[in-house]
Amino acid sequence: MTRPVSRREFLNLLAAAGGAGAAVKAGSALGLLPDSASASTLDLTAGNGRSAIILGGGLSGLTVAYELGKVGWDCTILEASHRCGGRIFTVRHGTLIDEIGNRQYCEFDDEPHLYFNAGAARIPSTHRTVLGYCKELDVELEVFVNENKTCWVQDNAMLGGRPVRNVEYTTHMRGFMAELMAKAMTETEMDAPFTDGEAETLLGMIRRFGDLNEDDVYRGSFNAGYASDGFIEHGVQKDIIAFRDLLKTRLGMGLMGANEGETGPILMQPRGGMDRIIDGFLRQVGDRVNYRAMVASIQVRDDGVEVAYDQDGSRRQVRADYCFNCIPSHLVTGFEHNFPADYVRSLKYIRRGEAYKAAFQAKERFWEKQDIYGGITWMNNPSRQIWYPVAGIHKRKGVILAGYDFSGGMYHTRMTQEQRIEAHLTDGEKVHPGYRNLVEKPVTVAWHRMNHMLGCAGYWTRILDGAWSAEDEAMFRLLQAPLNGRHYMIGDQISKHAAWMESTLQSAQWAMNDLDRRLRDMPA
Amino acid sequence: MNPRAEASDRLMKRTWILTTFLISIAAGAVAAAEQEPLDDRYCVTCHGTDGRGNEGVQAPRLAGMEPWYLRRQLENYRAGIRGAHPDDIEGLAMQPMAAKLTDESIQDIIEWIGNWNYVPAEDTISGDLEAGRALYQSCATCHGADAEGNEALGAPALAGQNDWYMVTQLRNFLAGYRGVHPQDVYGAQMRVMTTSLSGENDINDVIAYINSL
Ligand SMILES: Cc1cc2nc3c(=O)[nH]c(=O)nc-3n(C[C@H](O)[C@H](O)[C@H](O)COP(=O)(O)OP(=O)(O)OC[C@H]3O[C@@H](n4cnc5c(N)ncnc54)[C@H](O)[C@@H]3O)c2cc1C
Repeated sequence: MTRPVSRREFLNLLAAAGGAGAAVKAGSALGLLPDSASASTLDLTAGNGRSAIILGGGLSGLTVAYELGKVGWDCTILEASHRCGGRIFTVRHGTLIDEIGNRQYCEFDDEPHLYFNAGAARIPSTHRTVLGYCKELDVELEVFVNENKTCWVQDNAMLGGRPVRNVEYTTHMRGFMAELMAKAMTETEMDAPFTDGEAETLLGMIRRFGDLNEDDVYRGSFNAGYASDGFIEHGVQKDIIAFRDLLKTRLGMGLMGANEGETGPILMQPRGGMDRIIDGFLRQVGDRVNYRAMVASIQVRDDGVEVAYDQDGSRRQVRADYCFNCIPSHLVTGFEHNFPADYVRSLKYIRRGEAYKAAFQAKERFWEKQDIYGGITWMNNPSRQIWYPVAGIHKRKGVILAGYDFSGGMYHTRMTQEQRIEAHLTDGEKVHPGYRNLVEKPVTVAWHRMNHMLGCAGYWTRILDGAWSAEDEAMFRLLQAPLNGRHYMIGDQISKHAAWMESTLQSAQWAMNDLDRRLRDMPA
Repeated sequence: MNPRAEASDRLMKRTWILTTFLISIAAGAVAAAEQEPLDDRYCVTCHGTDGRGNEGVQAPRLAGMEPWYLRRQLENYRAGIRGAHPDDIEGLAMQPMAAKLTDESIQDIIEWIGNWNYVPAEDTISGDLEAGRALYQSCATCHGADAEGNEALGAPALAGQNDWYMVTQLRNFLAGYRGVHPQDVYGAQMRVMTTSLSGENDINDVIAYINSL
């Protein structure tokens, strides 16, 4: 059995957290705020007919074509696939999912709200560059619901596998945690770290945080939801779930965390699918894209860059003054090239992620009957999550995310399509009895097997979310800098925060700004 | 057939399949707009330009690989005879990609790849050539003195293959990640042969020697 934590030890933990908080300088939060969402931090000098060849029609490649095009550059995009957008990929009626060894065509009904964002899905309100381009390119946005406490939490290890509402879980857990904190606060032998006034405020917050009664004891709360009534008649409080039972699931760590990922700010999504952003760019630069053009060779010269690509069965050549390359680094290493050894070493160093997503079309919006509108159910099984759509509220059908393995997605990636579907049906059944019969038309996307992608994001550090070593940093700088002044690697792979469009866009802007500065410094 | 001529052949084939496909789905629910690609020629996405290997995804050189060896490996992958061991990381990546290949697709891929020009891979590994030569003597029995391979014995050419790939495979054989499936007859033979190598130094030396051939 594990040793219980004494109140004293718990308090020490609290004190340690307080110390960290105090270290945050009050002033830093009051720094000057930059302008609200605007796409361009760019003020590029006229292109004067200079040419750029852009490798890959990912978001960063399109951005470069768009921005340089504005100031008179001659841009060409080479895109290996039949579509642009790369990891911005919305699956709807008829979409080809070009996964190697598992090609699928999406059979969702042909309606605007029946789509699935298989790659990027969420835009935090703090991602100003993304929002700026949405504004500039007329991409209509709507609010995306990420955390919804009406959704479920399910773990076979907790309560015999019975799902509980997120709001029940978190309210009770807060109650129990607040009880511990309040008791610790009122211990007389404590060396008071606060003034009386501060202590009183803090205690008040702890009581409210956990809905404690006047004796600083948690006896359940209406905030966990009503067992019945609550409008015309007095509501009946739900039974409390024992602390011990709640501790049976490790999901609690995620649920009690401040914000999952970047989801503290409100989140948004383009109405109709994330690829509306790609459409927005293509309205501007669509005629610059050469599809089904697979880059085969990159030769960086002193006066430009020569690129060879395969199209319609033959190898073709193009040449341009400058080159911007958003092709995933692990694919670039397979091209013919004349890169120096340290550049290649850095390209090879970036690790590819393994994210995996799956979705079903639901024959009816069964979650709405359970008061769920948008948000995420958490499960302690390999499918991990179910996302309910905001799109199409109260319509007949909807598309739900049936599984999202955001790290170590090889579990599903290696499966056959049939095995994947069965896995999600079995997992989802634990939360929604009858699930198997409520859903249809599955699609699955294993990024590690997607043609021309073979990964979901590039990771530099060898420790997830860990600190960068000096070596990581040096290799990053090397790849960020233009090779021979001519070839720029771009995309979120050249950022410190992979797997976000904001990093992708900022990386493209960094490269354009860098080139612009160099061009301005060049003797005429 | 050279790759260019082969490609135009492929184009014709595509057009042909496209036509049949359109007819066959005419009554189906899915729009035909994105019905492509229609073959299974995905190899270069992973295996690099002209199939010369890509260390970035640990995919070896296919150009110059013997058609009979290609077929055996594709069939082994498809059947789960290769790439099923949980520690064979690269094999596990390849296996599901091959799982659904039809006999026709395998034939098509072999006809396509089997014609790519042999270009030896770049050396990335060095070692003690003398020690490597001594170790290689037992390999030479099957793979040939110049590592040119021997179809009759089912042993592929090693010369020109990516050295990092050969290192991985030797490690896998030694550790029992490859060559342990009951139906992997040649793999089992190879596994027995690798037991003469003791550890990383031997692996490096013997691969360095193969590089020198
Ligand atoms: C599962 C998942 C969830 C995500 N969620 C979010 C999210 O919620 N919010 C968010 O902001 N971001 C999210 N992202 C990240 C976001 O999708 C990426 O940051 C962004 O799309 C990367 O764009 P990029 O310009 O780097 O190019 P990529 O999208 O990587 O595009 C590369 C392009 O290169 C092409 N290409 C490959 N090989 C060749 C070749 N040989 N020749 C020519 N072209 C080639 C590809 O076809 C592709 O079009 C998510 C990503 C994934 C995978």
